[in-house]
Amino acid sequence: MEEFPASLVSQIAQDGIFLEARAGCSLRAFLSGECCISPEYIDNRISTIFLDSSPVDDIDSAMIKDGSIIALSAAMPGLVGAAMRRGGAYAAIRSSITHAEKEEYCRQGTVIVRLKLFNMVLKELGPGFFEKGVYVKCHDLARSLAEQTDDFWEKCKELIINGEQIECLRLRRGHYDFNCETALLTITVSGLSHTVP
Amino acid sequence: MDKILRIDMGADGGPKITETPLGDYAGLGGRAMTTTVVSREVPPLCHPLSAENKLVIAPGLLSGTIAAMSGRLSVGCKSPLTGGIKESNSGGQAAQVLARLGYAAIILEGKPKTDDIYKILIDKNGVKIVIDNSLKMLPNYDLVTKIRSEFGDKIACMSIGPAGEMMMNIASIACTDMELRPTRHAGRGGVGAVMGSKRVKAIVLDDSGMPMRTPKDPVKFKAANKVFTEGLLKHPVTGQALPAYGTNVLTNILNEAGGYPTNNFKEGRFAGAAKISGEAQAELEVKRGGLATHGCHRGCVIRCSGIYNDKDGHFLSKQPEYETVWSHGGHCGIDDLDSIAMLDFLDDNYGVDTIEMGVTIGVAMDAGLAKFGDAEAAINLVKEVGKGSPLGRILGSGAGVTGRVYGVERVPVVKNQAMPAYDPRAVKGIGVTYATSTMGADHTAGYCIATNILKVGGFVDPLKPEGQIELSRNLQIATAAIDSTGMCLFIAFAILDQPETFQALLDLLNSFYGLSLTGDSVVELGKKVLSTERDFNTRAGFTAMHDRLPRYFSTEPVAPHNVTFGVKDEDLDKVFAW
Ligand code: SF4
Repeated sequence: MEEFPASLVSQIAQDGIFLEARAGCSLRAFLSGECCISPEYIDNRISTIFLDSSPVDDIDSAMIKDGSIIALSAAMPGLVGAAMRRGGAYAAIRSSITHAEKEEYCRQGTVIVRLKLFNMVLKELGPGFFEKGVYVKCHDLARSLAEQTDDFWEKCKELIINGEQIECLRLRRGHYDFNCETALLTITVSGLSHTVP
Repeated sequence: MDKILRIDMGADGGPKITETPLGDYAGLGGRAMTTTVVSREVPPLCHPLSAENKLVIAPGLLSGTIAAMSGRLSVGCKSPLTGGIKESNSGGQAAQVLARLGYAAIILEGKPKTDDIYKILIDKNGVKIVIDNSLKMLPNYDLVTKIRSEFGDKIACMSIGPAGEMMMNIASIACTDMELRPTRHAGRGGVGAVMGSKRVKAIVLDDSGMPMRTPKDPVKFKAANKVFTEGLLKHPVTGQALPAYGTNVLTNILNEAGGYPTNNFKEGRFAGAAKISGEAQAELEVKRGGLATHGCHRGCVIRCSGIYNDKDGHFLSKQPEYETVWSHGGHCGIDDLDSIAMLDFLDDNYGVDTIEMGVTIGVAMDAGLAKFGDAEAAINLVKEVGKGSPLGRILGSGAGVTGRVYGVERVPVVKNQAMPAYDPRAVKGIGVTYATSTMGADHTAGYCIATNILKVGGFVDPLKPEGQIELSRNLQIATAAIDSTGMCLFIAFAILDQPETFQALLDLLNSFYGLSLTGDSVVELGKKVLSTERDFNTRAGFTAMHDRLPRYFSTEPVAPHNVTFGVKDEDLDKVFAW
C-alpha cells in the first residue's frame, strides 16, 4: 500500500475488530496491555467507552469477558454525547444503562473481544491496529471490499491476509476464497509507520 | 439594533410599515425577544394562523458583531403544531445581516384579505413591500435563484416553500447560507405556516453599506473574542469532533448505547448505523469533492456543517445533520446516505422541518403506507407533501395527525411535536426535557451548558437518578439564556469544560453593552424566559398532563437494554419548581 486505505479501515473498525485478551482483566488493563495505548491517551482522549452497550464510568472495575464488545470514542457533542462521557457531570441522564460490574468472571486463559473504534479515536488508533494485524470476520471483510470504489482499488496493491500477501487485483476480481470464519488482516504502508498513541 | 420593524400585513390599503424604538423590549435578543413579544402581544387562545398571531424574527444580542458564533436567528410565534409558544432557531446569514441593518426584531402582524403573496426588501434605504405572485408555490431553491437574479448575491434571504404557503404544520422558514442556498431552517413548530398565513413569501435582507456593529469597549470586546475563539478551537468537541464529522458523529455513539430510535422507536439499535455514520458521511463528502467542514454563517469557527455532493460530484444538499440522518435514516430503517441527502434536499426545497418530516414518514411506515427501509417510497411520500396532495396534506400536518388519521398507536410526540433522535427510555434525562419543555419534544431545549459553572440551582449529584430532574431544569434554564444571545448552542461544549471560555462569553456581552453580567444574571435571564413561556402555555390551555411522554414509553421496554422511561409524573411536575 502506498497510502493508508482509510475507507476500508473505517468500515471494518466501526463494525469491530477482534482481539485476544486475558480473561477477567480490567478494561484499563486491556487498553494499556493488549492494545498498547498510553495511559495519557486513555485518560485524556478516550473519554467515552462502552462495554457491551453500556457506558462505562470506572474502567478499573469494568471487567472483560469472552465475547465482550468494547467501543472507544473521543468527547462527543450534545447533551447526550456529554452524558456518555466517563464519569461526566451528566451521567445521571443515562443511569439506567450505565455499566455495573455484577459478575465474577473467570480469570484464566484468553478470551476474544470485539473492539469498535469511532471518530477521532478511529482516525488516530485505527492505522496502528491494522499495521499490527487484527482479526476480522471474513464476511465483513468481503463485504467491505465489495463496497470499495475505484479510488481504493487504484491505490491498493496488496493486503496481508493470514500472513499471506494477496494482490488486490485478485481480491477485486473475486479470486480469493473468503470461505472462513475469521482472518488475520494486516495492512502495511510503505514508508509509513503508525504507532498507537 | 435600536429599533423594531412592525409590518401589519392586514392593514387597509395594503401592508403598513412602522418603525419603533425598542421601548420595553430594550436589552432583549434572540429567544428572550421573541418570547417576550409573543407573550405580551399574542392572545394565547388565538388560532395560530389567524390575524391575531404574530411572527417575531429576532437576531441575537451579539449578532452583527465580529463575535464568533453570533449568527443564530430566533423566530417566535404561537405554534400551529403545538398550540403553545414557539421559538425556532436557525443558522445562515440572516441574523448577522438583520442586526447590521439595525433591527432588534421584525414583527409580522395581521393577515392580508387577498390571496396575493408578498416579498419584503430591507436595505439601508428602508423597507419595501411588493406583491409578487410570480413567486407563488416556488420551492425554496428556485425561489432563491429568482431572488438572486433580481437582487444580486450580496443578500441574505428568508423564505417559505410550498409547505409554508399551504400553511402546513411542519413548514419551516429557510435562511440562506454563505453560498446563498436555502439550507438553514427555523424548522420546528410550523413557523413557516405562520409566515404563510401572513402571505409573506420572502424577506430579502441587504446590508450593503452598513457597518459592523460597534461595541462600547472595542478593546475589551476584541480581547474577549480572541479568548472565546481560542477556547472553542482548543476543545476536542468544538475544535475537532464537530469540524471533522459534524453532529452526525453521534450516530455510532447513540447506536452503541442502544438509544438510537429505530423503525419508529421499536428498537434502540440500527443494523445499518455504520453506513450512515458521521465517519462514513465525512469520508464520502471528501471523496466526492464536497466539504466535511463548513460553516453555516460567517463568523462560525466550529464549522459543524458540510457540502454533500452526489455520485457525479454535483451539489445535492448541505451535509445532513445528525437529527436529519436519523429521522430519515434509522427511524425509517434507511441506511443509504444518498437517499437521506436527497430527502434533506427535498425538505429544504419544500420548506419542512426535517425532524418532523422524517418522524412522520416513520409513523406512516408503521401504518403500512411504505415498508421500513424503502428509501424510494420515503422520497415519494415527501414529494406528496411538496405537491400538496390529500396524502401530502396529512403528512404535512406532522406525526401526530398522521398517526391519528391512520390509526397508529405508537406516535412519538410531546405537545404534538415529534421527538428527536434519542430514545428517552435509554437516556431518561433527555426524556424529562422532552416531556417538560415549553416547546414540545425538543432535544435543544435542555442542552449541554455548564450548569455546574453557572451553579444553576446548586450542585447536583450526577450519580443519583433524581438528579435528572434538577439537571433537566438547569439545562433548560441555561439553554434559554444562551438562545437569547444568538450564539450557536454548540459553544456549550467548550463552556462546559473551560470556565475561561464561559467568562469570555460574559466579557463579550459586557464589553459590547457596557454591562456587568455575571453567571447569576445569565441564570435569571434563562428563568425569566422559561417562566414567560410557561405562563403563555398555561394561558393557552396547557396543563401538567401535557408534560408527559406518550404512555408506551413507560410500558414498553426497548432493546437492547430493555428499559422503560419510568420517571414519575410527580417528579416531572417538579422541573419548573423554582
Ligand atoms: S457550529 Fe454548526 S450550527 Fe453552529 S453556527 Fe457553526 S455551522 Fe452553524
